[in-house]
Amino acid sequence: MSHAIEIRGLTKVYGAKHALRRVDLTVPEGSVFGFLGPNGAGKTTTLRMLTGLGRPTSGTVRVLGHDVAMADNAVRASIGYLPDVPGFYEWMTAPEFLRFAGGLFGLRGRTLDDRVTVLLDLAGLTGVRTRLGGFSRGMKQRLGVAQALVNAPRLLMLDEPTSALDPMGRKDVLDMLASLRGRTTVFFSTHILSDVERICDTVAVLDRGRVVAQAPIEELKARHSSRKVVIEVASGADELAAALVGEPWVSATTRTPEGGIEVTVRDMEAAERAVPALIAARGLGLHRMEAGEVGLEEVFVELVGGGSQ
Amino acid sequence: MRGFAAFVRKEITEIVRTWRILVLPGMALLFALTGPALAKYTPEILRAVAGDQLGNLKLLPPTYLDAYGQWIKNLSQIVLFALVIIYGGLVSSERKSGTAILVLTKPVSRSAFVIAKAVVHMAFVALTIAVGTALTWGMTAAMFPSAPGSALWKSTGAWLAFAVLFVGIMALLSVLVPSQAGAAGIGLGVYVVLGLASLWKPLGTYSPAGLSGAPASIAAGHDVAVLWPILSAIALAAVCVGAAAALFRRGEL
Repeated sequence: MSHAIEIRGLTKVYGAKHALRRVDLTVPEGSVFGFLGPNGAGKTTTLRMLTGLGRPTSGTVRVLGHDVAMADNAVRASIGYLPDVPGFYEWMTAPEFLRFAGGLFGLRGRTLDDRVTVLLDLAGLTGVRTRLGGFSRGMKQRLGVAQALVNAPRLLMLDEPTSALDPMGRKDVLDMLASLRGRTTVFFSTHILSDVERICDTVAVLDRGRVVAQAPIEELKARHSSRKVVIEVASGADELAAALVGEPWVSATTRTPEGGIEVTVRDMEAAERAVPALIAARGLGLHRMEAGEVGLEEVFVELVGGGSQ
Repeated sequence: MRGFAAFVRKEITEIVRTWRILVLPGMALLFALTGPALAKYTPEILRAVAGDQLGNLKLLPPTYLDAYGQWIKNLSQIVLFALVIIYGGLVSSERKSGTAILVLTKPVSRSAFVIAKAVVHMAFVALTIAVGTALTWGMTAAMFPSAPGSALWKSTGAWLAFAVLFVGIMALLSVLVPSQAGAAGIGLGVYVVLGLASLWKPLGTYSPAGLSGAPASIAAGHDVAVLWPILSAIALAAVCVGAAAALFRRGEL
């Protein structure tokens, strides 16, 4: 499978601050890729390197097979980009800005007219004649997504595209991004886990300038769910929970709403041997013992730990 | 190239649709309409204000050259200072507002971005001043018995070369200095330095420094050789724009 984005050993240093530390990342062509990380993790810096706005301190960044450091207009003609806070010419209207953006790609005539009409509709801005200086943050964000699509890009890169949107606006943008699957590679950064869980097929997690995980979402969840065990006993759940806390292979226990015990384990094999023995030693009846389900949020919290900002 | 043309169109439309259309053309219009009248009636105004205090001092009757001198004086001071202040943010204002990012992630090179801005605004200044000069000429002809245009157009042409140089200098400073006020401050410093440099004859004769005082002398009817200062000013303006483009290409956004 070819890659829309290939990053190898990317490091970016600002003065004494390491914004990125030897980041490796590959984004398969045609995927909807979520780039997750807490605030300050380095997501925007990575996108700046991908678009050529910033220069890597070391490492290589390839976009659609081209080294970004050498990239010319031909590469930029194939990408669409939305920054985290898009800046617009405030004296323009939305149709004027889209026409201007299309003109920068060499679009004109009927093609440009049709594209502008479709994108205004997509952004919910049809008939809006207000100058951009009077737009709300949400309207600007929707226009930002629209302008990133004006050239029907092969690779769409979006920095926190839903952060300024209300729930309906968020749903519209996410549905639109999901509809591009298979035709356009969508790479978007966010700290909103539910957005990623909703539309992404693959995810990378960035923490303090390092990629701490990259995998298809289901694989990532499966990898981390193997560290959880849910136990239900006929009686004496409190006694068992207290006993589990002292075990060296247990990192945490919580009670489920159904009265069971969810155990986060450090060593699954040790858990499989010890749990039945602990229950038998106390004469408790075992109803259920199985691997726990985890959500992306739990995986994220586990990966970035308590050190996130 | 199509992206370049679209960006040039944007720059022109921006001039027409924003405050830019009011400031320089407004100044040119004001000075063109009032300068000749002020030149014609200055002696009478002085006599009315000073009364007997003038004593035996005789005021010469005004001529068309006084009107031209008034026009050039306004260009050399007020309009040039306005240029320096306005163009201190030529590039940096687009960086600060984030608009440069949306443009430069599309097929427009950073060099094209800077060159388009500099060229459009040089042309805008030239057109504004040409219209203002024609108006000044017409007003002068209406107020004075004769108004040969040669001194006016030559002096304004020399000043325009100086103004083009300053647009180039401000393009460079607006890439180097993130703050518009900071770039304008340095630009005014450059103006003072050029004025002082013109006092040294070789620089006054062969460098753009000669243009800081030459337009006023030409407008007063003196014959001043300005070919070298004009050529060197245009060459230096091109160097400044080229340097601005190169620095903008190498930097981060």
